[in-house]
Amino acid sequence: MAKSDDCVHILQGLLVFGNVVIGMCGIALTAECIYFVSNPHGLYPLLKATENSDIHAAAWIGIFVGLALFALSILGIVGVVKASRTLLLVYIILMLITFAFEMASCITAATHRDSLTPEFFLKQMLERYMKSEPANNSDNELTKAWDELMLQNHCCGVLGPSDWQEYTSAFRLTHSDADYPWPRACCVLDAQGLPVNLDGCKLGVPGYYNNDGCYNAISGPVNVQAWGVAWFGFAILCWIFCVLLGTMFYWSGIEY
Amino acid sequence: RHPRARTMLPLLLLLLPAAHGIAPLQYTPALTTNPTLEGVTTASTFVLDQPRCVFQDYGNADIWLVVALEQTKSTFNNTAKPGTNETAFQRFPDLVGAYMTLNTTLVNYPCPKPAGDITVLRVGSETSCAQDNTRPTCNGPLPGPGPYQVKFLALEGSAPVAETKWSLPIMLRTAKSPSTISTAASGHSAGMIAITTILSILLAILLAGLVAMLVFWSSDSCGGSSTFSKPESVTVRRYNTHHVYDQPAARL
Repeated sequence: MAKSDDCVHILQGLLVFGNVVIGMCGIALTAECIYFVSNPHGLYPLLKATENSDIHAAAWIGIFVGLALFALSILGIVGVVKASRTLLLVYIILMLITFAFEMASCITAATHRDSLTPEFFLKQMLERYMKSEPANNSDNELTKAWDELMLQNHCCGVLGPSDWQEYTSAFRLTHSDADYPWPRACCVLDAQGLPVNLDGCKLGVPGYYNNDGCYNAISGPVNVQAWGVAWFGFAILCWIFCVLLGTMFYWSGIEY
Repeated sequence: RHPRARTMLPLLLLLLPAAHGIAPLQYTPALTTNPTLEGVTTASTFVLDQPRCVFQDYGNADIWLVVALEQTKSTFNNTAKPGTNETAFQRFPDLVGAYMTLNTTLVNYPCPKPAGDITVLRVGSETSCAQDNTRPTCNGPLPGPGPYQVKFLALEGSAPVAETKWSLPIMLRTAKSPSTISTAASGHSAGMIAITTILSILLAILLAGLVAMLVFWSSDSCGGSSTFSKPESVTVRRYNTHHVYDQPAARL
């Protein structure tokens, strides 16, 4: 009996430890997702402007899943210590539901990340940037987001200023090609926000305009967000899997 | 022999070249290659090198740029006067085959070119006068993708005195519609497939475990294969009562 007592105690200890880790990871997941939802890089209008705002939705789900994990881990610890079958059954079922939600969030974040190709952003920028009759407020926000992006990262267009030359755009409809081969935000600006050399910018003289595309500046934070939600969630779920298996085994062994 | 004929002949020969006028210069206008400009050709403008050190002998002349389409350049007559209907920008290309613009004097093309300066002419940069018929020498945006050919013409008064060669045909950029951009997903990344499959398997195992647990519970009445003893607690335990009663009976 002593040996099985030791086994029981070890199993209980492991389960309590597992639940403590789950609780801490839940808090971490909530914190991470709150950070992403707070839109630190100003990219939300670019991701929101279409119907595919799933990376954002995945982050929102992550917040609530994290809190649920924390609460359930406390329930789990209490259930293991008290060896109560009902508490543990409730714990297992609720944990499975949370598992399913978090799984959806991870897969959504990963799938949406795959759809954010340069062509996607290029098409969106050409069709909506500086649209003259904005269909709704999201077009204005998109224009502001792109201006901010180009000013802060010293970049132009998605792949380069030639984006504006290779394709017609909503911008081109209101801004003539001779005066605006590319938007003014692509020029090197001085402290007052005016181009340092407007003719040099229009000609495309190196040093007076921004030659780089903005895709790297966009995809960096988006990748961090998508993989942060997806892979961290995946790791938590693997750990939860192990803890749940252990809990089920423990549950089946509790005397009724 | 007439003595006058002998002096007249050289005089006539001297006057002949002056009467003919236009000197063909060995210069071909070209797009700027140094420095590399992003906007060397756009949809409605292009950038030429300035004709430095070309018109040195014509300090009194006005130097004009003649712009024509490749197919209409042969219709251009060097005696055409700039600023008239014959060479008005606004009538190009439907009504006239070429127009003249960007006039200046040699003062603006000093020779030699200072090293490090960017000396270019941007054809098509004046948008304000493009529709203004009172400005026929407007350097307006070009109306189509071309191909265009240009040359420089030096006029003294209104008589042409020198011309460069025609440039090579200059083609401008044509813009495509953004609907031609295909945003079809190029397939899923390995990471996403790994996450999906592994998580689905884990969830399936857990659900199977839950089902096994519940089945086990509903069929469990006399204890399972291994039972754990609870720690000291006040709850009443259900022992195997027949076992307890049997023992004293056996002893007795």
